[in-house]
Amino acid sequence: MNARQIPMVYAGGQEQTLKVGLVGCGGRGTGAADNVLDSSENVQVIALADMFPDKIEKTRKVLKGKEHPGVKIQDDFCYSGFDAYKKILEAPIDYVILAQPPGFRPPHFAAAVEAGKHIFFEKPVAVDPVGVRKVIEFGEKAKEKKLGIIPGTQTRHTPRAKETVQRIHDGQIGEIVSGRIMFNTGYLWEYPRRDGMSDMEWQIRNWYYFDWLSGDFIVEQHVHQHDCTDWVMKSNPVSATAVGGRQMRTEELYGNIFDHFCVDYTYPNDVHVQSMCRQWKGTPGEICAIYRGTKGTAYVMGPRAGTITGDTPWEFKPQAKDIDPGTGKEINGTILEHRDLIASIRAGKPLNEARRIAMTSLTSILGREAAYTGKAIRYADLMKSDLDLSPKKYEFGPNEVRPVRRPGV
Amino acid sequence: MSEPLSRREFVKAGSSTAALLASTPLVYAGGQEATIKIGLVGCGGRGTGAAENCLNSAPNVQIVALGDMFADRIKGSQRTLSKLPGYKVTDENVFTGWNAYQQVINSSADLVLFATPPGFRPMHFAAAVAAGKHVFLEKPIAVDPVGVRKVIETGKQAAAKKLAVVAGTQYRHQTSFMETVKRIHDGQIGEITGGRAYYNAGTLWKRDRKPEMSEMEYQLRMWIYYDWLSGDQPVEQHIHTVDVTDWVMGGPPVKCVATGGRQVRVEPEFGNVYDHFTMDYEYAGGKHVMSMCRQMANVDNHVGAYFIGTKGEADVYKAEIKGEKPWKFEGEVSIAKAYVQEHADLIASIRNGKPLNETEHVAHSTLTAILGREAAYTGKSLKYDEMMKSDLDLSPPALAFGPNPVRPVPMPGNERG
Repeated sequence: MNARQIPMVYAGGQEQTLKVGLVGCGGRGTGAADNVLDSSENVQVIALADMFPDKIEKTRKVLKGKEHPGVKIQDDFCYSGFDAYKKILEAPIDYVILAQPPGFRPPHFAAAVEAGKHIFFEKPVAVDPVGVRKVIEFGEKAKEKKLGIIPGTQTRHTPRAKETVQRIHDGQIGEIVSGRIMFNTGYLWEYPRRDGMSDMEWQIRNWYYFDWLSGDFIVEQHVHQHDCTDWVMKSNPVSATAVGGRQMRTEELYGNIFDHFCVDYTYPNDVHVQSMCRQWKGTPGEICAIYRGTKGTAYVMGPRAGTITGDTPWEFKPQAKDIDPGTGKEINGTILEHRDLIASIRAGKPLNEARRIAMTSLTSILGREAAYTGKAIRYADLMKSDLDLSPKKYEFGPNEVRPVRRPGV
Repeated sequence: MSEPLSRREFVKAGSSTAALLASTPLVYAGGQEATIKIGLVGCGGRGTGAAENCLNSAPNVQIVALGDMFADRIKGSQRTLSKLPGYKVTDENVFTGWNAYQQVINSSADLVLFATPPGFRPMHFAAAVAAGKHVFLEKPIAVDPVGVRKVIETGKQAAAKKLAVVAGTQYRHQTSFMETVKRIHDGQIGEITGGRAYYNAGTLWKRDRKPEMSEMEYQLRMWIYYDWLSGDQPVEQHIHTVDVTDWVMGGPPVKCVATGGRQVRVEPEFGNVYDHFTMDYEYAGGKHVMSMCRQMANVDNHVGAYFIGTKGEADVYKAEIKGEKPWKFEGEVSIAKAYVQEHADLIASIRNGKPLNETEHVAHSTLTAILGREAAYTGKSLKYDEMMKSDLDLSPPALAFGPNPVRPVPMPGNERG
């Protein structure tokens, strides 16, 4: 055993500075770096990694503009290319944010655990069952190393959702009979291919539209409501039946993903949750997670979040501690998630939610695969599946992707 | 070939008061012993089946006239029907072409069965009621709101004339469904909180385009794949589960949000319909029913409707209730019997002088299905009341063989603004 295999794990208290590295300098990664600085005392962001130098420069500029004393990014600690995630783990960081496209998450997570870093990893944490199992495996290793690990499912950290779900679990809506979750949105973004760009570079720049990178939008985005549902139901689904397709975004620009899905998830005791998501330009959006019980209805996400109707009506009232004095609004879950993780690390009781988010990522993958194949698929069977979307080689050059799926064909 | 007549022109002519007064035909209202003569318009699989069901449903029923756009379809129908004792169709009472429906209506038939593509139903129904005939209408009864309103209006005229109107939503006549729905309405699953309905089915038939076929003929022969003829899957097929849902929920929904698309049947030969849909219907009191349908091969099929209450859950197709007061229908769950029963009920109602009139419920459930289809086509959240007032009219400019360009496959967000 050499010194590299027994790295020092940060276990300091409030007074000791926590040094953060960011892997993945896109919008969400930059946002997460911003959030971690706002979340706790004595936090510094010192290192950045991304596939592309231009993305790193953009993030540095944004964080510089924040004028926060914790922004201490050094040129020596900025890394680009396919190996950037490995190099940043050799920098003197305690805590790493993994925010590259989700297809990279399992190998990045494994390396970060090996390196003994505390980890905040964006959702979803895998795009296929092979990746899900890898995250579970390394999540267990992280426990042995007492590493703190949480994913970016921020709703779990908001007092509004926490209290609503607690009340559901305490029986305030009776026995749960059904659920309805939605992530209907409009136009997103795209990155047109430029002259001379290799398949691989274009796919990574336009990552949202490739199954191996994003997992399709049902996995990349709707995972929030799937996580909420698995939380409320205290279980992953048993099986799923789904339909979906690609009706508006049919051009090559949009890779190989769908633009709409509807999944009928079956949970234990034959409780069904209907899950609808679409990204259709020019159509009205709707985002919600609503659960119906024998004695009432609970709204956990969406415009009515924090409401229970029925026999025992209730509405969430934020307390002073829940309010950000700067904005006068409830503190955002994207800040609270870092606060909770860092507090758990500093208290010597690191949170480890790797298994939970890996299993919820599979809930989303289950819905996708049910739509792609037209088959009713069991969660337990998918967990054992060999489906592996990762490319043959991680290098710039040609990279053929699966054709758009046609169920039954 | 007869002169082409647009549907709008026809509707205008058919609904004028003068036309109604001019035709005051004798309505059949005889007893059990008198023969009921039927005519069939639309000699496809379902039409032939409906005629056979009708002939088998009661004594002294004869079929006297057949009509279809195409002679070959009539020959196919005759092969089945001519074996039955009630078959009394003479050669001069076999009609083809665009006016065949009117000629069947004008025959000695007391009751006319309509099973042509649903896009024709409103026009045919109006003509039959104007002529004072009892009517059996295959589901759905329209493909657009203009057609639905026409059917509702015609249904009122039928009631005034004491004409029977039964729709081919046969589950409303199937004992196992009736018993289950009654128990739901009597509170056996407590208060209904919502439900889910599925018509995840396989692919259907298709026909090759022959060189001599005009666009219009090809569309008529491939009618399930054209919106203006079939109304698309939610309307043409899923209507059964949609109708069961409206029945259980006590009426049509308030609004609908949906997704859908065309993922497998993408070739131009499959007209302009989708191959999958999911509707999130909201009924009064904020109760949601998820309604899913698809037509794809080599996938898992599932047809059913389930309703969840505060005290249990009902599986309507299996006629079973789970929960605090479990129950299972003891008799045979038979769709074949229901296909006959709907005609038995129709004929009994004519004979006892208390004609059934199912126009309203089938018109509303047809509009419920149209609402779901349009919510998917447009991506909008659509309200039932507004859909009922909509000017959407899918009928072609001229009912004649020749060119007939159809609207492109609907694109959500762009479709009709």
